Amino acid sequence: MARPVLEVHDLHVTFRTDGGLVPAVDGIDFAVAAGETLAIVGESGSGKSVSSAAVMGLLPGNADVTGEVLLDGRDLVGLPSDELRKVRGNDIALVFQDALSALNPYYSVGWQVAEAYRLHHGKSRDASKKEAQRQAVRMLDLVGIPDAARRANSYPHEFSGGMRQRVVIAMALVNNPKVLIADEPTTALDVTVQAQIMRLLEDVQEEFGTALVLISHDLGVVAEVADDVLVMYAGRAAERGTVRDLFHRAAHPYSLGLLGAMPRVDVPPKPRLTTIPGSPPSPGSISTGCPFQPRCAYTERVGERCITERPELTPRPGEGDHEAACHLGRRPSDA
Amino acid sequence: MPDELLHLENIKKYFGLRGGVPWRQAQAVKAVDDVSFVVRKGETVGLVGESGSGKSTLARVATRLLDPTAGRVEIGGVDVTKVSGRKLRPVRRKVQMVFQDPQASLNPRQSVGTILTTPFRAQGIRPTKIQLVELLEQVGLSAEHLDRYPHEFSGGQRQRIGIARALSVQPELLVCDEPVSALDVSIQAQVLNLLADLRDELGLSYVLVAHDLAVVRQVASRIAVMYLGTIVEEGPAAEVYDHPAHPYTRALLSAVPVPEPGAVRDRIVLTGDVPTPISPPSGCPFRTRCYKAEDICSTKRLVLEAVAGSNEHKAACYLPEI
Amino acid sequence: MPDLAWFVVRRLAAAVLVMLALSFAVYLIFYAIPADPANLACGKPCTPDRLEQARHFMQLDQSTIQQYLNFLKGIFAGRTFGDGTAAVHCNAPCFGYSFPLARPVTTLILERLPITASIALGAAVLWLIIGVSLGVVAALNRGRPLDRLSVGFALVGVASPSFLIGLLAILVFGFWLNMVPVSGYIPLTDSPVDWAWHLVTPWLVLAVLQAASYIRLTRAQMMEELNLDHITTARAKGAGEARVVLTHGLRGALVPIVTLFGLDLGGLLGGAILTEKVFSMQGLGDLLISAVAQLDVAVVVGTTLFSAFLIILANLLVDIVHGVLDPRVSHG
Repeated sequence: MARPVLEVHDLHVTFRTDGGLVPAVDGIDFAVAAGETLAIVGESGSGKSVSSAAVMGLLPGNADVTGEVLLDGRDLVGLPSDELRKVRGNDIALVFQDALSALNPYYSVGWQVAEAYRLHHGKSRDASKKEAQRQAVRMLDLVGIPDAARRANSYPHEFSGGMRQRVVIAMALVNNPKVLIADEPTTALDVTVQAQIMRLLEDVQEEFGTALVLISHDLGVVAEVADDVLVMYAGRAAERGTVRDLFHRAAHPYSLGLLGAMPRVDVPPKPRLTTIPGSPPSPGSISTGCPFQPRCAYTERVGERCITERPELTPRPGEGDHEAACHLGRRPSDA
Repeated sequence: MPDELLHLENIKKYFGLRGGVPWRQAQAVKAVDDVSFVVRKGETVGLVGESGSGKSTLARVATRLLDPTAGRVEIGGVDVTKVSGRKLRPVRRKVQMVFQDPQASLNPRQSVGTILTTPFRAQGIRPTKIQLVELLEQVGLSAEHLDRYPHEFSGGQRQRIGIARALSVQPELLVCDEPVSALDVSIQAQVLNLLADLRDELGLSYVLVAHDLAVVRQVASRIAVMYLGTIVEEGPAAEVYDHPAHPYTRALLSAVPVPEPGAVRDRIVLTGDVPTPISPPSGCPFRTRCYKAEDICSTKRLVLEAVAGSNEHKAACYLPEI
Repeated sequence: MPDLAWFVVRRLAAAVLVMLALSFAVYLIFYAIPADPANLACGKPCTPDRLEQARHFMQLDQSTIQQYLNFLKGIFAGRTFGDGTAAVHCNAPCFGYSFPLARPVTTLILERLPITASIALGAAVLWLIIGVSLGVVAALNRGRPLDRLSVGFALVGVASPSFLIGLLAILVFGFWLNMVPVSGYIPLTDSPVDWAWHLVTPWLVLAVLQAASYIRLTRAQMMEELNLDHITTARAKGAGEARVVLTHGLRGALVPIVTLFGLDLGGLLGGAILTEKVFSMQGLGDLLISAVAQLDVAVVVGTTLFSAFLIILANLLVDIVHGVLDPRVSHG
């Protein structure tokens, strides 16, 4: 892999609540290089969205973040808010799941894209309203808003879901960030529109060489666009590797379970979907052992270790950077 | 036909939009525009389409939660289009609905026991505790859950409660509106398997309304594809999925991502958005986004016609793929 | 914009209908009370003969419906009571004639309006500033001392009757500290400084009382707004906290605040009864109270209708402003 633009080391996020400390992210590492796409996969409560918010420094005041978030080698964790402000939306930008709520209903979309530009062009002439507006229209046009100059004056509610997501992408890209974090960018969209938006993301990534962190629960989308994948479960990394590692050589029982549980549109259905029994643990109730152990079908083969000892990410022999956090040495399917 | 559980004939459902000014005509949103649809005993019919296609509205008309603007609703061979109020209860016994968001469709102030008792009461029955426990066990829950409240359950469990409630009056047909779209993948599979098990055990039939084509493929024996208030294609699931005849179905299927890295897919990316159901395009509703559209497509609204080589598989298209 | 114009026309037409219905109701109520204005006018000793004369002069000998129609006609065409040299003219728009004060009600209202308007507008500006800024501060410091302090202040404001706060203010600032004049009104045109100086205490008193509901509304709205996703978007774009709170947060909270403000102001312009009384200012509220005390029915009806008109007008303005402030509102 080329030198990564974004490197996250040993990221921990703990929320201080009335009920005590709740760990949401419990030590994860990932990296993404320019022009590449890293997908973070997991179900609700896995900590994937919290991780992205932590990278952006967008967590509320009751969240404690430790670890390193290196953007071009510069650590963002603990950066004074004023310094962090200059990074956000400039070097690293965010695309949300629900574009309707992500946009401010009271301002025109052109104004909102222009604002993102003005916030990072100081008081210089570049930041004149006219120039910002010009940039906004250019970006709206680039993301495929038809008749962008006129539509820039429209308000978010006057757009369709897909067009709104294009606006959000335009807003994120107007300062040509090095890293784009897309948190479930197509989950709220219809499938034909999802295809349009994913193609758009791939196009802009190719054009600008943006590093993309895609947070998703949809393994189909992940298979299509990701280079590398991080599977998260209960705030920890379950498996990490290339997209082929995950889909062809999944090593963690949870990853296998996810793949088996996903119905497919392209092949005749299996009589029954594979299921993962039970449901994910609620944050804060994590035991000393493997967080997946209560739902795992292989735990009997390993025995006590799954309950007493927390598995760490370990490289799979002979599979390059492919790592899984599982005591079961062999691939589950061969076991 | 005796084995027809549900028969919808030329259903139209328009929602009124008040005209702002007197000289502007009151506009109608044509949510469902002349749809006929049949569910036979033992079938699982998938009703697929994107948002605004009218699939949820059609499901609500089928369960008589909404009155159709025009058309006929027959349940178990009886015309129930005009039936209302108390007389609807025997109809409701046969057809029950499962909703998308179990959080919103379960009363947070009622215990599971109360939630499950209500449908019995509506039929004038006082259920025994054993009956309630049996219901819970049918959906993979147990007696200990009877006295708990909805917020104490996970999303998947709540959906199971919603299904148990629907099953309480021993319906023949369950109309499920996006039953798994709010759930995580691993939980989604559990609920889909449960629906399949219940079908086998109780001989249930389903109408499964969903936007996720993979989910529908997993359980449906027949599917109907809706676009802008009309059915553009219907037929046996395997035929429609493997040999879609309508260009819209083809585009829709090709847009679904497949969990197979590097899979070469012949994707048709549609341009633009779905037109407004207030003034749908003349002729074929899909023609404005269709990659095959020709002049003829704007002339006349098409009816579903059998696709070559099949009598069950029908499409409404001048230029079908097969 | 044609939608907006049509909306305004429609709402104005509706407002006229409401005013008509209201005027009829008010007319019936006040003329049904067992007080005979003619009896008051005829003086003492009042012979049946003179009473009859007064009745005829005041046109009270006609049927109630006819009296009401006369009243409506007066609004558009003016009225004349009696004839010859004794005739009393009330020019259009005539909202009745006060025989005890020997003035048309319209004139009385127009004389008093500047005083009430001075009190109401000045106080409104103050309470809006105090209420909204304390509300924002409270929302940003949720659960911390500053929040508790603001909420406590709001509670005091809500719980205190205006005459108590008003009298306390007069006592403290007027008499003990001898800082401000305790009563009286100087027209703005005479001396702007004296005008403001005389009004400062009533402004503050009214503002403290009214600010309470604005603190609570602003606080609740801001806490809701600041939790919305687009606030996170603003932060993710790199907006500073001040910009996030004011440009993005407060903007959304503005609609309900402006709504409340419009209705409050509309209500207050019809007369700040207690405040005017406490500070001895002859505004509309004072006019109404005196008229009630003297059973001057014409004035009571006129001022009541005028207040109602202001509230209807405020509602209309609020709806229009609502559409301007929230692009999602359609006036269609």
